[in-house]
Amino acid sequence: MTPLKTVGHATHRIDALQRVTGGAKYTNDIQLPGMLYARVLRSPHPHARIRKIGLTKALALPGVKAILTHENCDIVWNSGDQLGQRKLFNNPVRFAGDPVAAIAATNRHIAEDATHLIEVDYEILPFLTDLEEALKPGAVPIHTGGNLSLNNQRQPQPQTYKRGNVADGLKAADRVFEDNFTSAHHNNAQLEIRVSVAEWSGDKLTVHAATQGIANCRTDIARDLKIPVENVRVISEYMGGGFGNKNQNQDSDLMAAMLAKQAGAPVKLEFTRKEDFVAVHGRWSSRQSYKVGVKNDGTLTAIQMTALTGAGAYRKGSCDLAGTEIYQVPNLETSVSPVYTNTAVAANYRAPAYPQAVFGIESLMDDVAYALKMDPLEFRLKNMTRKFRDQTPYTSIGLEDCIRKGAEKFEWTRRWKPVPGSGAGPVKRGAGMAMGMFGSSLGRSSAVVRLDGQGQYHLHVGVTDVGTAAKTTMGLIAAQELGVPLQKVSVVWGDTDTCPYSVGESGSRTTVQTGMAVIEAVRDLKKQIADKGAPKGSDVLTAMATTNPQPLAGVSRNSFVAHFAEVEVNVETGHVIVTKFVAAHDSGRVVNPLTAQSQVQGGSIQGIGMALHEELLYDKRSGLPLNAGYYGARIMTHLDAPLVDVVWVETDEPYGPFGAKTLGEPTIIPTVAAVANAVHNAIGKRVKNLPITRDKILQVLAQKETLA
Amino acid sequence: MKKISRRTFAKSTSVGIVAAAAIPTVEAQQKQSAAIVTDPGVPRTTIRLTVNGVNRRVEVEDRWTLVELLRDHLHLTGTKIGCDRGECGACTVLVDATPLYSCSQLAVWMDGRSIQTVEGLAKNGKLDPLQEAFIEHDAPQCGYCTSGQLMIAKALLMKNAHPTRDEVRTAMTGNVCRCSNYNHYVEAVLAAGGTAPSTGGGNA
Repeated sequence: MTPLKTVGHATHRIDALQRVTGGAKYTNDIQLPGMLYARVLRSPHPHARIRKIGLTKALALPGVKAILTHENCDIVWNSGDQLGQRKLFNNPVRFAGDPVAAIAATNRHIAEDATHLIEVDYEILPFLTDLEEALKPGAVPIHTGGNLSLNNQRQPQPQTYKRGNVADGLKAADRVFEDNFTSAHHNNAQLEIRVSVAEWSGDKLTVHAATQGIANCRTDIARDLKIPVENVRVISEYMGGGFGNKNQNQDSDLMAAMLAKQAGAPVKLEFTRKEDFVAVHGRWSSRQSYKVGVKNDGTLTAIQMTALTGAGAYRKGSCDLAGTEIYQVPNLETSVSPVYTNTAVAANYRAPAYPQAVFGIESLMDDVAYALKMDPLEFRLKNMTRKFRDQTPYTSIGLEDCIRKGAEKFEWTRRWKPVPGSGAGPVKRGAGMAMGMFGSSLGRSSAVVRLDGQGQYHLHVGVTDVGTAAKTTMGLIAAQELGVPLQKVSVVWGDTDTCPYSVGESGSRTTVQTGMAVIEAVRDLKKQIADKGAPKGSDVLTAMATTNPQPLAGVSRNSFVAHFAEVEVNVETGHVIVTKFVAAHDSGRVVNPLTAQSQVQGGSIQGIGMALHEELLYDKRSGLPLNAGYYGARIMTHLDAPLVDVVWVETDEPYGPFGAKTLGEPTIIPTVAAVANAVHNAIGKRVKNLPITRDKILQVLAQKETLA
Repeated sequence: MKKISRRTFAKSTSVGIVAAAAIPTVEAQQKQSAAIVTDPGVPRTTIRLTVNGVNRRVEVEDRWTLVELLRDHLHLTGTKIGCDRGECGACTVLVDATPLYSCSQLAVWMDGRSIQTVEGLAKNGKLDPLQEAFIEHDAPQCGYCTSGQLMIAKALLMKNAHPTRDEVRTAMTGNVCRCSNYNHYVEAVLAAGGTAPSTGGGNA
């Protein structure tokens, strides 16, 4: 790979100063003159019909300016449910936390007080928290049509994928392995609480939103409020994380807008941390069943996966599972059925369909390798994907290098125990690894670049920068293509009035998709400069480009990753510490190694939390969430976080901006499985239900039978 | 907790914050929009406190938290609210040099106290070495927890100028970073403390 002048060098964020001085303005830092504060009243019941809502007392409280309920607001929040089944305020309410009313008042204390003065008469309905119980005959239907949700083609069938013939593949196998794995609902838990500030000026609406995509947020708001898109402006200057739960528009954006309209004043709507855990969304839980056929020499002949996924009370996400594609296998069948329950809604969280499914398949493949007396690393090198779905060549693939170089850095042969559980104890060490892949989503993006008479370039891009350093990345790509230092490029972002459409920071596609638009715009500008000369004085030259990449014909473009974990397990207490972690990534050319390293370390550490302790628990008897919040849900802290060593495998990628492939989401994909496999290697027993908490470790250690 | 003496208190009234144009000053933040409408029926108390070296006399509602006073009424929005329930540390400020979650302190308790927020870290237009190190090591990702991480690290370095990696992790463990950029945060604090960050290795 040819080194470049600007791209590929560790570069500080262009807005780093604002981030370390308190100068960065996040949505909740916005205060407008005459602004009201809003709070939401939520259902305390997992499933209930609202008979009556009494607002008299709340409206009589001095300072209360507007109240929305299902009786005066029937707006459908389309981003909250792909099937259009979700209004801002629903009756019946379908989970503890479903909004019942929103109140705007002159300050947040009055708004809060008013929520306690609203009198709601509920008819309590039977509720469901368990996926299998939800599918039993006679189970109370949460939506018309029952508790099995439609697939992503809106058919009343599971989401399926098939190649070859699994029955034949299993027949051809020397050995067949079957097992079941489950994963929990766990929260994105980004630090910035959900907040929206809405202001009307005539029929024009401005929303300061904490969003991953100002352009999508804008079109979604216009769609749901049924107003022209040109009447909506969305601003998100700084954004405090989302990991997938700030895609599209939020119900808070719509509620703030409607409250502001009713009150005739700007409204700031803030969710509390508890609301963020129970009423926004987390990663969908899953129950996965596998059958794997294998020859005695370790060659895979068939993989079958059947799974249920937990959509929660509405269908906000795809609820799909992915991970089996990492293996080369002639016969493959997967079937995933999303199921409704009266629990928190599930949707996108960093590589939404992957880490829980990779945990399942990679746990089982580990067991297969041990059963065949093969090193799990050799087993993966033998069976890893060579072509996408065994058919389509990859544009570039560094998976083998990720495994080999990662293993070398990790010192796999020294750390991995051929006999699991063979450590002396009570503190036993073990090592595990797992692999993953990810193709970035596609999407349309635009970029505008302007050169002024003073020789400064101004790059307008519709990114918000969710923490990935996207603004800096866009600046670097422009500077590289222009052949100027980064300082010569001013990046303009975060406001739909000044920035063109961008695809939105989801699907790990900003660098590769919006980056292509930046390159196209710069090429046009360079051509103009060549034709007309550089502008002087108050003159400007402007260029713009819209790119809309389509799937590449005959090739597949994917990032690859292998993670390696070493753990110490105290077999008396069940306590696990990750003592060594290596993350090897093929994301093509790395645009900014400094911020890319932050991504990999952060994604890996989030994955360790998912593996070992993070979970939103429900009480089966009451249907209520038990542990919403950072402490309760055991979110990773400084003391939980190991050092993550990052290994870059920079493949020569012919597509994308300077050969960059996708990065943000792959960072969490194999982490959970690597940690789970390390725990197994340490104790000789396998925990098959995420998270791998102390009680589960002690439970499997107490079981008599050993592994096959 | 150390009470501020009358002399330091008096002295501090004349101290302003001078900062380079690029660094948002306390004054710049205060020039924002008018204060929130308050509730006449609610008990109020007048307190005197020092915020980032500036002596202030403020009438506060007794129910206001410190973070509410700082953000909504003094317009120092660098301090963030991540949970408002003492779990995440995003709102960490120094009260008489002790790091506290400002969401879990009432504003009325701050009478006679000296508060330092992220806006008060840069002195005379110069960034604090911690701020420099945070930029250098790419400590903030989304940046929402950064002010809190800076303030807890500042408190640590004031007590222990050259902490070890484990001392840093222990001191800062009450400050959640969901981007989980913990490695870079620790490296930055070690660098600011003059302790070269070790490479590789594990939790030990």
